[in-house]
Amino acid sequence: MTTLRAFTCDDLFKFNNIQAFLNFLSQYGIPFYLQYLAHWPEYFIVAEAPGGELMGYIMGKAEGSVAREEWHGHVTALSVAPEFRRLGLAAKLMEMLEEISERKGGFFVDLFVRVSNQVAVNMYKQLGYSVYRTVIEYYSASNGEPDEDAYDMRKALSRDTERKSIIPIPHPVRPEDIE
Amino acid sequence: MAARGHVQDPNDRRLRPIYDYLDNGNNKMAIQQADKLLKKHKDLHCAKVLKAIGLQRTGKQDEAFSLAQEVATLEPTDDNSLQALTILYREMHRPELVTKLYEAAVKKVPLSEEYHSHLFMAYARVGEYKKMQQAGMALYKTVPKNPYYFWSVMSLVMQAISAQDEKLAQTMFLPLAERMVEKMVKEEKIEAEAEVQLYFMILERLGKYVEALDMVRGPLGEKLTSELQSRENKCMMMYQRLQLWPECNALSYKLLLKNPDEWQFYLSYFDSLFHLMDKSWSPPNEEEHCVEGPVHTTVAEAVKFVVDRMEEEDKKDSRPLRGPYMACLELIHRLRQRGCPDEEELGDPLELMLQFFGKFGDKPCCITDLKIYLHLLPPEQHTQFENRLGELVPLGEVGEDGFGFPGDTKALQRHLCVCQLSRVLGLQHTLDTEGKLCLITELKAHYHYGLQFGKSCLKTELQFSDTYCLMVAHVYIDLWTETGDENMLWQCLGVLEEGLSYSPSNAQFKLLLLLLFCRLGAFQPVVDLYSSLDAKHVQHDTIGYLLTRYAGSLGQFAAASQSYNFSLRFFHSNQKDTSEYIIQAYKYGAFEKIPEFIAFRTRLNQSLHFAQVRTERMLLDLYTEADMELTEEHRRLSLEEESVWLKVRSLTLRLLASLALLGHAPSKRNSDKTNENGVSAKSSTLQTLLSQLDLTLQTAAQITEKQTQYPFLGPPSSRLASALSSGSCHCQASALQLSLTLQELETTGLDDSSELQTQICNSFKSLIVQLQELLSRCKGDVLEMKDSRLMTQPSLLETLVFFVETVCVVLWVASYSASVLRPLKSSLQKKKKKKTKDSSTAMPVVLSGFQEWTGSLQGIVTQALDHVKGQEASLTALKLAALTLGVGHAQTQEECGFTRAAMDKVQTSYLGSLQELGDLLRKRADSLKSLKF
Repeated sequence: MTTLRAFTCDDLFKFNNIQAFLNFLSQYGIPFYLQYLAHWPEYFIVAEAPGGELMGYIMGKAEGSVAREEWHGHVTALSVAPEFRRLGLAAKLMEMLEEISERKGGFFVDLFVRVSNQVAVNMYKQLGYSVYRTVIEYYSASNGEPDEDAYDMRKALSRDTERKSIIPIPHPVRPEDIE
Repeated sequence: MAARGHVQDPNDRRLRPIYDYLDNGNNKMAIQQADKLLKKHKDLHCAKVLKAIGLQRTGKQDEAFSLAQEVATLEPTDDNSLQALTILYREMHRPELVTKLYEAAVKKVPLSEEYHSHLFMAYARVGEYKKMQQAGMALYKTVPKNPYYFWSVMSLVMQAISAQDEKLAQTMFLPLAERMVEKMVKEEKIEAEAEVQLYFMILERLGKYVEALDMVRGPLGEKLTSELQSRENKCMMMYQRLQLWPECNALSYKLLLKNPDEWQFYLSYFDSLFHLMDKSWSPPNEEEHCVEGPVHTTVAEAVKFVVDRMEEEDKKDSRPLRGPYMACLELIHRLRQRGCPDEEELGDPLELMLQFFGKFGDKPCCITDLKIYLHLLPPEQHTQFENRLGELVPLGEVGEDGFGFPGDTKALQRHLCVCQLSRVLGLQHTLDTEGKLCLITELKAHYHYGLQFGKSCLKTELQFSDTYCLMVAHVYIDLWTETGDENMLWQCLGVLEEGLSYSPSNAQFKLLLLLLFCRLGAFQPVVDLYSSLDAKHVQHDTIGYLLTRYAGSLGQFAAASQSYNFSLRFFHSNQKDTSEYIIQAYKYGAFEKIPEFIAFRTRLNQSLHFAQVRTERMLLDLYTEADMELTEEHRRLSLEEESVWLKVRSLTLRLLASLALLGHAPSKRNSDKTNENGVSAKSSTLQTLLSQLDLTLQTAAQITEKQTQYPFLGPPSSRLASALSSGSCHCQASALQLSLTLQELETTGLDDSSELQTQICNSFKSLIVQLQELLSRCKGDVLEMKDSRLMTQPSLLETLVFFVETVCVVLWVASYSASVLRPLKSSLQKKKKKKTKDSSTAMPVVLSGFQEWTGSLQGIVTQALDHVKGQEASLTALKLAALTLGVGHAQTQEECGFTRAAMDKVQTSYLGSLQELGDLLRKRADSLKSLKF
């Protein structure tokens, strides 16, 4: 049970209450969050537990050309604190982002995920996402580890009746070749 | 870099290389290229500005500024110059100059949409709301686009928010904003969702909730589509404000049927239900209760509603939701609060909580959920509850050590939850020492057993059994605080170090270690831990305060300086960044976010921690850098914070700064004419500051009398208490006081001042006595081995730091004294030469007294250095390896290794602190030599 609400700036102060926010999540600077809050506030949702703890959040945006049928919702960040995992919260947050994208008339929703992150890849598959293409060395190296490829995963929305947007591209692409 | 305009302009082609150099950070070449271009094309203003950017970036601010102003006074209207100047002014932190620039441009080109819009944004950057309102309107009149009109409306709302006088907001700004929107509504010109949201914001701030509700429910409300449940949420908010409990109840009910996991709606459902009951409300007619549908007005209905929701979940094949079961406990809690007997219909809380544990016990959040409702159990049920929970945990057969272990991670999680509940219920606290040690053994066994489930975990993942380890650490801390046995502390450090070795990303391990090392006065490992936490952004505020409390006070000045810098960088960039996003919010019509961004920026700016870091950083600079050049900046240090310690520190800083201005300006002092005004003005500053310091110290004494003790995991207490009790504060204050007396002597001269001179000499002597006392408080061993136990006395280290800081302050005053006395002495000698016959004039008391004083100071510093050396020697001589660890505590070889590693870290850190303190003392001792006549 959860309270789902719009993310506010003050939530930034609560981030370090949660292990996850310390470890996985605060890879972004304040400007990054503020940019999303200023541009796509509706796509920035936080889940709060009855005790007031932040359980997780999702942050996304809408982008792409309508004429080329590339207008879509994008998942920029999705994170659930370890103590609130395996409750279906990520699925709920994804569902909300998809619903918002539906209303905006998007053709699909997409996201990038590390090829090595099997847990996440499987979760997205369960939620109806499929690998659309591989992006070579999308994640730049850190701490001496090599660059890593990303899967660009997509799920068609109702506007894309023929589900054209998710037909996989067989050849990997380079980061500079994606918009 | 700036947009480069269009291809057709030949100037663009000429400027291109300069832009490229600037983009690549090659500022020198950019300047050269600009000079070359300016030789041929004198009137190419943009080249001048680009050159100025190059100069600014190479540290030649003044040159850059005057060059920029040359162009600005011409009031340029070409894109290139305007944009380049905008960039330059922003880098100079002079955003107000951008407004001047575009004010001029708009006057010259009144029909330019672009310049008008730049002007609006320039005002937004500096928060000139009234001018924004006008600029927005002017823009709308030039180009009638809706967003421009609403920029102007939003600027009115911002004037209302920032108005000192709430009446002005309510009677002028907001009504005007409302009328502006109404006009558009009447003309049916409302286009975007953002405009409706802004309208709602205005009505809400005006307290016109009925109007706001009508608007949201009406045709305008249909535009509220981006945010999920936007209309419902806004209606709910208005129902609550208007206390329309029937509507509130019915809407909550409706939304819960749709999503039985939405916690906030259970709360509004219960709230409204009880309000209705209190008012004995009954529906006006049978069919329709209210516009939102059926309303619940009795406990029976609520009980049935909650029970139905639980049954729905029980029937489901998929994963059950926690909401309905938690709602059941919440309802019991509320009924009990009201003394309502009907709670029995929902069942026994103990059974319900067991049922909850049965369903969700394998989820890590089970503990945080149940914790909220443990108060529903009477104390006599606690043990029964723990035992019954235990029955629900599947554990394997009991082995030789007497423990049974979980077979998988789900069972482990259940077991862990029971352990945590037992701690929360206080059942662990009632154990005696022996019982606690047994508990530790059991938890450790579970911890080690559980590690096998996480063998394939990545470095960034946590171990399933980490929480056991954390619990062990907490029981050790209990034992340490109860018995004072430092061995418990060392083993606690050991177990946390072990935990970290298996789970290198566990932030809770790191934070607890960080706290413990801080308490031990071992700052070196803290620095590594903090950087491995990879604190980001806001965390510099939320966690950083821990560091700043301990960094400088433990004599690790280099590390302290580094950690202050970390935090400062974050705070400064915040100020620039937020303004950018306020502007973006206007562009994208995220009006609701604008006041939020501004409040966020204010919150960060007012952070006490920020003020502390700023002050500590500057004091540190003063203590460590012998020849510090003080700028006006130091004196303008704002003293907004009320924190007394901060005030003491700031006052000390300001006193030293004024002193430096007086003493370290020999060039000014030589010309006697300028002396008068300058000095008298400064001396009154000195006097004011001193009396402020005196007052603050009095307040401080009152505060420390209370002797507030914070819980171990609570905030660290400030250095105030020990600063006062060590005598350091008073010694610093009397040293600073002395400088005032010296000033007096400077005006009076050596003749006719015997009383003053005696007074000064007495102060000299008294300072020596105070320093001696302070030093004697530092005596003792920070780390020693007694009966094969390792004992720490970190407070000695802290006192030693106080001593060194105080010596620094006294030496500053000494060097100021020398600068006062030296000219007096030489004028005396001149006089002597003139009257060669009369050589009987004795040396004035103050001069001999000063010489004696510097001698004594030298002596004290030498003593202190000897003490530091002695401590270093005994620390180095400590052979930790000789300690027999683990006796009687059943520590394995491996565990002992971790404990030893923690001890090593503490020892090394103490040594480091001593070395830095020694170095600082030596440096300052050298400066003493130069004070002799």
